Amino acid sequence: MPSINHHVTGIEYWRSLEQLADAPEVLDALDKEFPGYEADTIASSSRRGFLKLMGASLALAGIGLTGCRRWPEEHLAPYSSNPRGRIPGVPEQYATMWELGGVASGLLVTSYDGRPIKIEGNPTHPSSWTVKGKIGSADGFAQASLLEMYDPQRSAKVVARTKTGEKRDSTWKAFESFASKHFGEQKADGSGFAILSESSSSLSVADQKKRLLAAFPKAQWFEYEPLTRDGERDGAKTAFGRPVRPVLHLDKAAIVVTLDADLLSTHPAHVRYAADWSARRRSADPSGEKPGEMSRVYVAECGFSITGSVADERLPIDPSRIYPVAKSLAARLGVTGVTSDEHLSEMEEKWVASAAADLKQAGSAGVVAVGPAAPPHAHALGYAMNQAIGAVGNTVMLVEEQEADRPSHFQAIADLAGQITSGKITTLLIIGGNPAYDAPADLAFAKAIESVPVTVRLGLYEDETSAVCKWHLPRAHYLESWGDARSWDGTAGIVQPLILPLYGGKSAIEILAIFSGESETAGEQIVRRTWKPLLKGDDFDLEFRRVLEAGVLEGSEFPAAKVEPRAVSYPAAEPRRPGLYIRFEPDAHTYDGRFANNGWLQETPDPLTKLLWENAANFSKKDADALGVTTDDVVSISVNGATLPVAVYVLVGQPVGVIGLSLGYGRTVSGNIGNDLGFNTYLLRTSNAPYSILAAEVRKTSESHELVMTQNHHLIDSVGAAGRDKRIGEKYESGKIIHEASFAAYKANPGAALGGRTVGLQLFDPPNQFNSPHAWGMTIDLNTCIGCNACAVACQAENNIPIVGKQQCRKHREMNWIRIDRYFKGAPDDPRPEVIYQPMACQHCENAPCEQVCPVGATMHDSEGLNTMVYNRCIGTRYCSNNCPYKVRRFNYFDYHSQDPRHTGMPWNNLPDNQQMETVDKIKRMVFNPEVTVRMRGVMEKCTYCVQRIHRTATAKRAEGKDVEDGDIITACQQACPTQAIVFGNLNDADAEVTKLQKNPRAYAVLDATLDTRPRTRYLAKIRNPAATETAKEA
Amino acid sequence: MSEGTTKTRAEAATPPAPSRHLFPRWLNYLLPALALAALGGGVYVPVLFGFGASPKTLAVGYQPTQPVPYSHALHAGKLKIDCRYCHTTVEKTGFAALPATQTCMNCHARIKTESPALKPVFDSWSTGMPVTWVKVHNLAQYVYFNHSAHVTHGVGCVSCHGRVDRMDVVTQVQPLSMGWCLECHRNPELNLRPRDQITNLGWTPPAQTDAERLAYGLDLKKQYGIRDVTYLTSCYTCHR
Repeated sequence: MPSINHHVTGIEYWRSLEQLADAPEVLDALDKEFPGYEADTIASSSRRGFLKLMGASLALAGIGLTGCRRWPEEHLAPYSSNPRGRIPGVPEQYATMWELGGVASGLLVTSYDGRPIKIEGNPTHPSSWTVKGKIGSADGFAQASLLEMYDPQRSAKVVARTKTGEKRDSTWKAFESFASKHFGEQKADGSGFAILSESSSSLSVADQKKRLLAAFPKAQWFEYEPLTRDGERDGAKTAFGRPVRPVLHLDKAAIVVTLDADLLSTHPAHVRYAADWSARRRSADPSGEKPGEMSRVYVAECGFSITGSVADERLPIDPSRIYPVAKSLAARLGVTGVTSDEHLSEMEEKWVASAAADLKQAGSAGVVAVGPAAPPHAHALGYAMNQAIGAVGNTVMLVEEQEADRPSHFQAIADLAGQITSGKITTLLIIGGNPAYDAPADLAFAKAIESVPVTVRLGLYEDETSAVCKWHLPRAHYLESWGDARSWDGTAGIVQPLILPLYGGKSAIEILAIFSGESETAGEQIVRRTWKPLLKGDDFDLEFRRVLEAGVLEGSEFPAAKVEPRAVSYPAAEPRRPGLYIRFEPDAHTYDGRFANNGWLQETPDPLTKLLWENAANFSKKDADALGVTTDDVVSISVNGATLPVAVYVLVGQPVGVIGLSLGYGRTVSGNIGNDLGFNTYLLRTSNAPYSILAAEVRKTSESHELVMTQNHHLIDSVGAAGRDKRIGEKYESGKIIHEASFAAYKANPGAALGGRTVGLQLFDPPNQFNSPHAWGMTIDLNTCIGCNACAVACQAENNIPIVGKQQCRKHREMNWIRIDRYFKGAPDDPRPEVIYQPMACQHCENAPCEQVCPVGATMHDSEGLNTMVYNRCIGTRYCSNNCPYKVRRFNYFDYHSQDPRHTGMPWNNLPDNQQMETVDKIKRMVFNPEVTVRMRGVMEKCTYCVQRIHRTATAKRAEGKDVEDGDIITACQQACPTQAIVFGNLNDADAEVTKLQKNPRAYAVLDATLDTRPRTRYLAKIRNPAATETAKEA
Repeated sequence: MSEGTTKTRAEAATPPAPSRHLFPRWLNYLLPALALAALGGGVYVPVLFGFGASPKTLAVGYQPTQPVPYSHALHAGKLKIDCRYCHTTVEKTGFAALPATQTCMNCHARIKTESPALKPVFDSWSTGMPVTWVKVHNLAQYVYFNHSAHVTHGVGCVSCHGRVDRMDVVTQVQPLSMGWCLECHRNPELNLRPRDQITNLGWTPPAQTDAERLAYGLDLKKQYGIRDVTYLTSCYTCHR
């Protein structure tokens, strides 16, 4: 066995501390093609058993005559009367909206013969466009909400609980008769009636709320959202006396400074922000929109966010330092009333000085953004700084907030809990959310709900909250119901159903109508009534249809807020207390826990930690070393009298002194996928410290917990390349899979992007050009990739990619066709490591190593340069995967689609062998894209460049007698990418964007120089724009 | 013969020695017979499966019973209704749509309104539920056939479906196997016709000799801009 020795190179970019340290498991993974595949543990035990199985299968093959039987009779059922414009087998797209945390974004949903099968962003909606009018992007959550709709475990029945807690199935009829009786008695009063709603921007909900409160004058409406942005509202109140909402224009921003604000990932407007941000990053190229005016991003943060990972200057600090840093920055910018008396560390000082100088210089082209977890005074400072540099009105627009007078979410839920405890609440209606699980732990909210005599709950799932309510009502998914919503900038749109409710659910507005005892309970009519006064024009129906079609009501943004900053007195910062801060963060998989039962999200690795199927406590290397723990060790964290054992994940770059805990795991009543995974960090969260708190005690325990993460999966082995370079005396460069340069160096010499490397001479011309009639190719810009996973989820949805379950992921068997390799650069204890994201999918090599080893010709080249994978030829030798240097081929070890992968008790060592089980769930299979084959067990698969999209467009164009033009074919990943990092097109077309990009001085092909694979996917080197590069170099 | 007599005489004289005559005499022929069977079987079995299991045997002639005895011979042949009157989407999309009941009712609201054979159609019209037809030309699920790509590029209906205008009950006439598809994908010129003759099932090329036919086809091929053979025989052209 060849020994692997990384020390030949001393790798510059590494995926994990283990890789950097040459840990045995990493070497093993590099060494073996299929780690976790131990033939001995799977093989049948005896020779007798083997012969029996072989005999039986032979006999079955013979008797069944599987190869020469006519396939089953199929039927065709045409419409009785064709709906207008409907062509069977042709997908249609409908505009709609969806809300997360009370902020909506515009979507375009593809429906195939009446089944929604794909969710994309609406290119005409300001929240979603990446190329206005052409490409709209939606994030991973929005795209995966499709799977939620088809989830067979979604609530399908009205459930009633007796006083003793006994559960029985009920009906809508029974509930309605109960409701009319119960609420009929309360009419015109409503004291003791409380509604706890999730946050919503819906106009119809607001209208229904008004009507409900008119019917029950003494009823109270509470709003709660665990991942609230109320910190921003409180901040604006401090600054202006009332809440306003900042809407940023990052495309105009030359200097972006964020104070614990994750603008590119967890912000509600992050899709648009990312698109705008990327425009100013592309400006690094002479061909960019504003050539030579690349933005510089300063991020001070208390965790490690996506925004931080792509920052040019990052400052990892603990939550107590955000305010003093903001204050020093403000003082340097000359904000009145702020004195720079805070003591800063050397790292902070450098960051603040540089940011202040840049902001001053940028003036109105600068912007300061402050995150929701920052204290109110930091927000006030942020507003003051934007005012001082003149950014307000240019890069920052202040607009009116909705419901300016409502209490903050944490006040509201604490108030409600108090009223319940004192017995004032007799009827509680809970709309959405999951307060029994995610309310602050100090309120003991689940117990409180149980003590209310009448509790009605409307939810998508029967979850923790349903378990303590007397009535559970199934909620209609947003893809099944009528509604309306507003995006971050206030643009209103209509939510339209794509399908009738699969499980007989009702929407929030329909439920509220039932409660108010209104005559109109049909969702569509309620929405039309709300919109009647909004739409001008004589023909309301026509105008309504226009909004429906566009998915957006033009000019409905929130009006600009006319606010004058108040004189704020800024207190001195509190000194830092010793100990470790706990910081609560949204989870990349489950958001706040609501997507726990969503397999697509569970199996999409966290952008930075690459964790799957669970969460962990993110520790900095320094803190972990001090505590004597490492990844997989379990620590017990105590705060406010609660103790939680949680597994440690050592995250390089995590701020020292801060433990990052993501919320949204440890669900107990969610479904087969989401139950009993990870750690319920809500248990440590209290209403007085919802964002961060100093831990009382963090103790090492003797336990350990094997976390599943993909950071060491599918490692690209550049050892061979390094060895060759050493022999021929090259400076260990040709095996490099990452290239980057500083903006200053790149501007001076574009060749610097690739380190001056040139492509080696070819002894012979390639035998085949694969360019007839088109030559498909792709570029991926490492400079604008933010690792957000939107492409990965898009690919999963588009290409019918199965989820495989936690156990299988541990064996490196996740099926994602596109994986996002996250590389660190720097020393392992560097507080500010550099991060690069590299999306990696099939490179469609012209000289493909996989094709050369397939014994059955199951992977071949087509005439347009696609490396084709023919499933019905594949016999599963996996030689191709073994020979693929990029590690992008995925093998179907089992029939992963057939059954929920987390079911255990199956044969094969409890592995989910679903071969013998019933076929794919009837409802689940409705999510499949009919244009892509659903692969079975035993075949290899990989990225196809979305060949179904290529053929659909090319064939349709040809039928019209035209050829495809640039931009006609958009792959699923390209479509979803909020920063347009992925560009696909025809390399034969000299004017195509992809052709131009492949000629960019930053363009390079991974491993091509050493292996001569001639990949069709090219990467564009990353450009960083650090402050004062020259001085940094000297230092 | 003389040996035989000697033996008989010897048997009569002495009792048979069982150990020396364990096997009957005819067994001597077994080995050659077996060899012959092996040889014959080696030919017979592949021939049987080769022809018996071939789509030409199994698929050609497939003629399922339909819920309504709809006659293409009457409608398309005698009444000369164009294929596209019912199969409306054939030029625009991959799937050549079956007509909605409404299409039938365009005429049958007035014609043969009492016919018992048309009952499923009338039922469908009054209930809104579909008439469930049985699919005759059924490709494997991993084949992504596209009607519009063919009919807009000179491949006529008859090439795959045969003389449907003469069929009372639709029958599959071509094997629709991969080999059969590839025959045409390799040499499309022999199956090309002018655009206005796509649905004319009885069209014959204006050519007297094979050479003329070929030249005519090649001309059309150029005119339609048919892709080259490498493209037409690439895996992803039909499979994904």
